[in-house]
Amino acid sequence: MSGMFNSMSTSASAMAAQSARLRIVSENIANADTPGYRRKIVPFEQVFDGQTGTRRVATGQLFLDRSELRNIHDPSHPMADERGYYLGSNVSTIIEIADAREAQRSYEANLRMFDQSRKMATSLLDLLRR
Amino acid sequence: MNFDIGVLKLAGALSSYASNRQSLISQNIANSDTPGFKARDYADFGEIVADTTARHSGMRATRPMHWQFGENLAAYEAQVKSLFGSESPDGNTVTLEDQMIRSAEVKQQHDLALGIYSKSLAIMRASLGRR
Repeated sequence: MSGMFNSMSTSASAMAAQSARLRIVSENIANADTPGYRRKIVPFEQVFDGQTGTRRVATGQLFLDRSELRNIHDPSHPMADERGYYLGSNVSTIIEIADAREAQRSYEANLRMFDQSRKMATSLLDLLRR
Repeated sequence: MNFDIGVLKLAGALSSYASNRQSLISQNIANSDTPGFKARDYADFGEIVADTTARHSGMRATRPMHWQFGENLAAYEAQVKSLFGSESPDGNTVTLEDQMIRSAEVKQQHDLALGIYSKSLAIMRASLGRR
């Protein structure tokens, strides 16, 4: 029985981590056109719970993508230099969309596991009711 | 009346095996995006039972608790198990599809254990002349 509760809390921790990642992805997409914005990356870490022996997931410290900012040619932009260029963000929308898809897929897998653990616990409790 | 009934013990062992395995598989799925995580699983239930009964009949055991079903699952450590070539560049070996198949198997094992348990109880009740 404790195995079911362990697996439900493990799945819940993963769902929390995936939704945090999805939030960061949407921040990146929202700021794709902000000059000087650097893309944020959220790392995942496993957290070992010694009491129950389970490995949960948590999000680690956010860090910024160190890659080059894009040089955008737009002489009418207020931040443009004498050559007509300004520094945009280093967000690539394609990468962000792919990341969002992966987060969604993992979230759904964890939701299914949560549901299955819950059903197994319920059917175990049904034995008591007879 | 003798309540030491083998089939109930075996069903109980299978259900605790299924619940432990479910916990392990949800850890695998939870860590499907964690760099360096290796997917793990237990040995087959049949193997564990065969191992236990072999030890029981041969009267060899390092610990007396190895002779009981179910309680010795901790003695069977989870092993690293993943499909060939499933390792991603960050060192993670979890394949969601593989884990889904394993979790469906766990659900079946758990349903089987509970089915056998409740059916055995029903038979006992019938032998007592009640419905």
